[in-house]
Formats: sequence, structure tokens, C-alpha cells
Amino acid sequence: MHYWRLDRSAWRPGLTQLRDLGLPIVETYVPWQVHEVAPGEHDFGTQDPRKDVGAFVDLAGELGLLVFVRPGPHINAEMTYFGLPERIVYDRACQARSPRQNPVLQAFPPRMFPVPSYASRTYHEEVGRWFDAVGEVLAPRLWPTGPIVLLQVDNEASYYFRDAAYDQDYHPDALALWRKFLEKRHGSLTKAGEAHRASYARWDDVAPPEKFEAEIPAQLALHLDWATFREELITHSLAKMRRRLTKAGLKGVVTVHNLPLGDQGVAMSSTAIEEVVDLVGFDYYHARREHRVIKRRTLFLAGTHPVPYAPELGIGAPAWFTPLGNDDSLFTALTALAYGLRGFNLYMAVDRDRWYGAPIDARGNPRVEAGSWKQLLTAMEQCGFPSLSRRAEVGLMMPREYSRLSKVTSLLGFLSPTVLEAVGGSPVEACREDTFGFEGPIQVLWWKLIARFADALTAAGVPYVYVDGDAPAERLESLRVLIAPSYEICDPARWKRVNAFAEHGGTVVYGPAMPGLDLAARRTLFEVPQQGRRVLIDTEEDARDVVGELVRDLELARPYPVRPAPLETTVHEDASGPRVLFVINPGKRRLDATIEVPAPTTLEDLLSGERFEGRESVTVPMGGWSCRMMAIEGAAQRRSESGTAVAS
Amino acid sequence: MISESLRFEGFDSRSWTNLISLFAPNVVSRLDREAMPSDAPEVAEEIPAERRGTLLIVLDDRERVLMALNTQQGRVRGLEYAGPDALQEMAERYHASSCVVLREGVMEEIGERLAHRVERGDDYLAQWLVLARAVREMSEAGLLLTWPRPLGNVPIPTIGMVKRALDSVLPDEHAMVVVVWSRNVPWTAMVLRRRGGLIDLIAGPDLLARWTGPLGGDWRRDYRIIGEAVERTVAPVHLGIFTELSTVRELLREYEPGAWARAAAVRDVIIHPAPPYMAVALGADAVRAAARESARWLGGIETLGQLAPLATYLRSRVAEVASVTATLGFDPLKLLAIWLRRAEGEPIDAPDSNS
Repeated sequence: MHYWRLDRSAWRPGLTQLRDLGLPIVETYVPWQVHEVAPGEHDFGTQDPRKDVGAFVDLAGELGLLVFVRPGPHINAEMTYFGLPERIVYDRACQARSPRQNPVLQAFPPRMFPVPSYASRTYHEEVGRWFDAVGEVLAPRLWPTGPIVLLQVDNEASYYFRDAAYDQDYHPDALALWRKFLEKRHGSLTKAGEAHRASYARWDDVAPPEKFEAEIPAQLALHLDWATFREELITHSLAKMRRRLTKAGLKGVVTVHNLPLGDQGVAMSSTAIEEVVDLVGFDYYHARREHRVIKRRTLFLAGTHPVPYAPELGIGAPAWFTPLGNDDSLFTALTALAYGLRGFNLYMAVDRDRWYGAPIDARGNPRVEAGSWKQLLTAMEQCGFPSLSRRAEVGLMMPREYSRLSKVTSLLGFLSPTVLEAVGGSPVEACREDTFGFEGPIQVLWWKLIARFADALTAAGVPYVYVDGDAPAERLESLRVLIAPSYEICDPARWKRVNAFAEHGGTVVYGPAMPGLDLAARRTLFEVPQQGRRVLIDTEEDARDVVGELVRDLELARPYPVRPAPLETTVHEDASGPRVLFVINPGKRRLDATIEVPAPTTLEDLLSGERFEGRESVTVPMGGWSCRMMAIEGAAQRRSESGTAVAS
Repeated sequence: MISESLRFEGFDSRSWTNLISLFAPNVVSRLDREAMPSDAPEVAEEIPAERRGTLLIVLDDRERVLMALNTQQGRVRGLEYAGPDALQEMAERYHASSCVVLREGVMEEIGERLAHRVERGDDYLAQWLVLARAVREMSEAGLLLTWPRPLGNVPIPTIGMVKRALDSVLPDEHAMVVVVWSRNVPWTAMVLRRRGGLIDLIAGPDLLARWTGPLGGDWRRDYRIIGEAVERTVAPVHLGIFTELSTVRELLREYEPGAWARAAAVRDVIIHPAPPYMAVALGADAVRAAARESARWLGGIETLGQLAPLATYLRSRVAEVASVTATLGFDPLKLLAIWLRRAEGEPIDAPDSNS
């Protein structure tokens, strides 16, 4: 709910309706551009009452709501200049630079504008002054003295969607950081030169690549270093902002950062960012037809991050997005919950300028759509959804080195892998097909291999998650099987984690190639994982055969199998057993789902109240593109309830 | 032309989607089609005809194909580039509705030129015209080829030309309103306001309903109440278009002369108020239609000139009133009609479509 965009008289009804929907927390951006009335001068309500963010937070607290604040500096929020003051974006010292030292333009309406540089010291100094100003208002309202419990550091830090590998940032401060990065990565100038197959006399010679020019593996290191650096630049910038927020008194509450759509294409590492902030999540704006994308993104969050969270789950959308209806938003929410999302921020709950489709209008009146959200939130509350978990025994590893190779070989310039992914394509779709002397174009093949295994696991009814290749080892602890694509070139650090997983008794599926080159294309000894299975995957059938063997040999769990395809189920449980079953129809055609149950079972749709029963199977009608959230009542539950009674 | 403090408000998801579907039906209809599994980039050997996308090819300096994809299908493997004269043939072979061929690095070059030329203070339209010019330069250098080229021979208008065209359609400090009904209920609506030379408000049905209060249910009467409410709340109305869904869908796809004039004559569309250029345009439209019909009856004799004095009068008025078409160098309504028909896979038989 954006306080500054609403009449102040709409605050109370808006917040009241939002609370009555069942939402315990209200989120708002705090826009720098709106509060800055002159350089260094800020209005927090003394001139314009709508800008009194302190009063807004206090009112939320008075109404029993907790508060999630997002002071930027970048907020997007469909604001001109993404919420930054005009003087900042047109300050040359703050601007990101293209290879030719031009500004880098972001094209969203109603103005293209030069985006800031994440490296610019001038920009960070300005941001610090903004944080000082906003900190004065917000710090006294932090939990436990006030209602603010969540604090977001910046927003969708993806180079403002101008994140193609050679779009930016060639700002002098970025180049200085690039050289520091290389020194840390390689240890010395000489070693950096060896890795890049170049002769550097001094650090100033180490220029970043401005376009992709590699033809052989030995020439890849410079480009892979650049891709890695660009991820680290974002992490570095967020860390700096987090420290600056702390200095401004904004500390002691949970910090958050959100990745935009197109998270697999974006030049940032969510696992690295999680070392800077407490909670990393993805923003969701999807049509129902994008089930496959919703599923992949959520399974990535579930496999890579401890708390799968959506800092923005779109209800409605900005006018310049693909049109989304309430059915799309509801399907997205239910499907994301089905695959493991544990919490979300409904964005926007209350309507505002440059938005359509919120369930509460700009005067605080509920629209028809509010009813369906209230049902969902009530259902989540009733079944204790946040405390449930979904078990997965298989992890599909997303190797970051191959993902970086995809980014540097993308051919569409500012139509970056992120943009392609966000509009429904894949992040490898526009990669060149060169093989660089390898067996095939790794930059495309890894994605295809992962997708084939995902399809095979889905067809077999085996729950799985995606794990970032750089995720810490504890993310692998709950898994029994790790499917880790490997080609001739490989990150030795990732391979070490794969081997450690195997040493602890996990089953590793790798291939199609056994790696032999490190990221600088130097011959390196890669150990064969203990009892690992190397697989060559050419066709869908190959992946299905491998998954079939794994299911048979390891007796992988396949809870509540459903037919016919493409229907899917997911099970959420607590210590007492399965509690909630989701049934998902990812297709447009209506189907009757036949769900195998382990004992006589009743399934109750938690939203509609419909009940379905069966002894060995339960039949549930499924509309096209639909998802049901059902309470499981049956032998397992009766057992758990009696067990609880005895224990208490 | 677009204010940096543009307000867009008063739409719910239905009314906004409805509005989009009028002008970009394929954007909305695509939402109702199953998605291709684009994250499983299989070779699309058999592309279903209903999934026509754009065939996008990137070449290096030796005209080697570095990458090819169909925007609706994903990657296309094994494509052999058949040269700049064979774009249509390639699009057809790969079941695409259009084809774009780029040289490697062209996107980056466009980005650099845009960033270099856009100036602080340029408005959004001016910025897009800079982009359009950069794209045209690439095209003229043979580095970016497209099929079809709907505006291929039309010079890119200057910001002054666009401003003059906008002055005719929506003068400063005025509003225009469009309301489309379906079964006596507003199906979608849009109010635009121009202030300080820039469009600063796009308002939807929710706001309109707040301004008007309850309506009677007969759109041929309600339009006056709506116009008065906009006049009272937003700005003097320069142009109001009120009609039903079936009518507007038909008219937007119509490039035959006389369609708009006929609809206005029988009140299938009410244009109120009708600014001078619109009255003249409708009159000219009727005369063109009459001329075409009479020419057919008279064995191909061009009779427009014989319809004096009406035609002569209208011609002089058309010259007086800055015609949008003449100013821009193309007819935006005709272009829209072609676009809509093409989007829906209908045959394009309009003359001068450059298709």
C-alpha cells in the first residue's frame, strides 16, 4: 500500500480492509524522489500530509498491523526514474557507463532514464544521505518499540534490467572494483594474466571485455571473470547499502532483498546476497499459462533458500506489463504455495496510480476480487501452512559457471537473458551456438539437460527442487540424489561440493562429460564422485530411463501419485504426517484427477469447501489451469491426532 | 507528449485487459493459449501454424547464422540463411508471421546511439523517435532487415510533426473520452487529458463511474452524462467516441472508405463532441466512399472531382485543418486496421499496405 499515492483519508479504510483480508503485515516503499524536495531537504509530512510516512506506520501499528518498509534507493514502483531523484540519475558521476562511456538507459515509461552505477562512490554517498534522512523517521518505529519488522535493502538489483553482460558497468569506480576483484580471485597480476592468457604489466592494463570474442576454451576465462564480477558488484553494493542503513539506525529487524522476473538470467547471485541480507525472495508476476515458470522459480527458492518467500506476488500489474487478471494472480499464488513458497507480499493489495487490478480500491473499498484472497489467506491460517514443509529427495543443480557462459554468449544486446526469461522465453534462448572446441554448446545444453530431468522427475511423480551451484553445503543435506550437469569445463569449487555430497552417502548423477578443465581452461584433476552415475542424455527417454532406475534402486518417495498427465500433486506435511495436498492442472483442458491414496481418505478443498472421498483413490474434477489446496483427512491424520492426544 | 508525472488510474484487470484486446488482440488471446515449454529448448521441427511468432536470426559478418529462434517457439536449429531477398520465404518456412535478421552487435550499437543522443528533458515520445531513427539507420545500412516493413517507406516523423498531429486530435488543456459498451454495461473506457502540452492523465472506468454516478443503461443517452462529467471533472472534452463492442471491433479493422461515416450516420457510433477535423474526416470518408461506389458504377471513371461543390469544399477544409494523416505521412487508422487483421491472421488486401 503506497501511502504517498493515496488521499490521507484513504489510509485507515485501506489498512483496515487489508487487515480484514487476513494480512498481518503491510508493506510500503519509501520513495526518495517523493520525500526529497530539494537536494538534502526532505518532507516527511510537514508540507504534504500524504508524505507523513511516520504517521502511516503509526496508524498501521494502531490497527494491529506489522510493517515492511522498503526505502530503496531504487524502488521502481512504476515511478518515473524508478523513484530516484531526477538530479541523481542525471548526475554523470552517479551514472552507469556503457563500453563507450555513454550512459545506460532504462526504457520503462513514462521516461527513459540513465541508470545509476552500483559502483559509483558518489551515488553511494548520496544514498547514505537519503538513508540518514529516512532513518530519522523510521528508526524509532522499528520492532520492538514500533511495528516495523522487515526492511528491504534496495530493490530488484538487476542493473535496472539493463543487465546484458556487456551493457554495463564501465564506470571508473566499477573498473577499480573489477581490478580488486581479479586480485582477490587470482592472487596476483601475473596469475590473472595467466588465467586470461594475457600479459599484464600493471593492473591498469586489465581492461574488462566489451564484447564476447572467445573462440577457444582458453579465451573464456576473461569473460567468465567479468560475469562473476558483475554478480559480485551487486552483492558488494547491497552490502554497502546494508551497512549504511545500519549506520542510519535501521537495524535489528529482518532484512530482505528481491530478485525480479527472469532470475536465472539475471547477473546476480541469490546465494551470495543471502550472506548480506536475511531473506532473499523472488517477485512473481505470471499468467496462468506460465505454470512451468512459476514451478521452476519456486522449486529454486525451495531448494536454494531456507525460507522461500515472494517479496512481491502480483495482484494486478502495471499497465506496461502483459495483462494479468485475478485468475492469473490466484493461480500463481496457489501454484507457488504448492511447490513450496511459504510467504508472500500481495503487491498491490490497495490500488494506486500506474496500477490496475488490486483487490482494494484507492479509497479503501474492497473489490469483488478481495473475496478470493480472503478465502486463500483464511485457508492458509486454518491449516497452519507456514509451519508445514514439502519434502524433496532429489536436487537438480543449476551450475552457475554454465549460467555465466550463457550470459556472456547471449547475442541480443540489451534484450538480455533476464528480459527474455521475463517475457516467457528461456535465458539460454539467444545464446550463440559455438562449441569452442567442446563436444557441444555448453551454454545451451546445460539448460536442456536440466529441463529434461525436470520433466522426467515430474512424469515419475518424484518431488524435486533446484539448487544453485553456489549454494552452501547445508542446502544439500536433506537430499538423497543430486543431479549435477557437468561438461568438459567446470568450477572446481562446485565439483568439490558435489563430491562432498557423495562422500556423505548421497547419489550423484553427473555428465554427460567428466570435467577436465577449470574455469581458466587449465587441465585439472576432478575426482569421480563416489558411486556416482555418469549419464549421457540425448533424448527425453534417456532422462526417463535414468529417473526410473533411481526410483527403483533408491525407492524414492512418490507421494499421492495422480493421473492423467499433466496433472501434478504436491504434499505438505508436519511432524504428524501429510496435512495438505495440492492438485495442479497446468494445462488448459478440464480433467478429472485420480489421486492414489495410501488409505481411505477425504480431501477437503480449503477454498471452496468441496469434499472428495475414496478408499484407494480419490477423484477430483480439475478446471483448466487450476490448483486446489486440500486438507488431507484420513487414516494418517487420525493416527497423528490420537498420537498428539497421547503425547499431551 | 507524455508527462513524467503521468497518472494512470481507475482500471481493474478486466477493463484494462478489455482495452488492450481492442488494439492488441493477440497479446490477450496469447494468454489463453498454452505456453510452449520454452525452458526445455527442444528443436521445434513441426511448428503449429497457430503459434506464429517472429523468426529472429543473428548473423556474423560472414553471414553465418549464430542463432535463430522463433519468438513463440524457441530455438530453431539448422537454419540456413537464404539472403536478404528471402525473408518472406524463410518466415513462411518456419511458420513465422514476420522475420528479423540482425548482424551481431547491432543491438549494442542501437543502445549506444540511443544513449548518446537522448537528451535530458526529452519526453518519452521524443526518446522513442530517437530509438526509431537509430533502428532505421541500422536498417538502411543493411545490418537489420525485417519482413514485412509496414512503415518501410515512411520517413520517421519529427517530434514537431507528431505534436501537430496531436494538436488536431487532442489540443492542450482538453480531454478525449472513449467508452465502449457491451450489453448496456461499460465494457471499457478511457479518458485522456493533455495539459502543458503533454498527456498527463489516463483514467479508466472506475474513475469515470465515480465522476458520473449511476448511469441509465442506455448508452445512446448516457454518453451526454459522461461527457458532461468529464468536462466538469477533468477538462473540456474535445472528442468523445461512444459505441458498442461489436461496432468498434469492426470499425477498427476497416480501411474501406465510408465505414466510420456510415456508423456515425446510423448512430452505431456517436462522436460527440466532434472536432472540426473529425467532422471533415467523416465527411471526406463519406465522399470517398461515394466516389468509389460511383466510379464502380460508371465504369471506373474517377468521380470525386465531379462531386463538387461538396467535394471541393471538403478538400479545401481538409487542407485547412491539419490532417493527421498528412502530418504524419501515414494513416494511423489504416495502419491499425492492417495490424489488427494481420494479428488475427486475416488476409491483407488493402492498397499501399507495404506488406
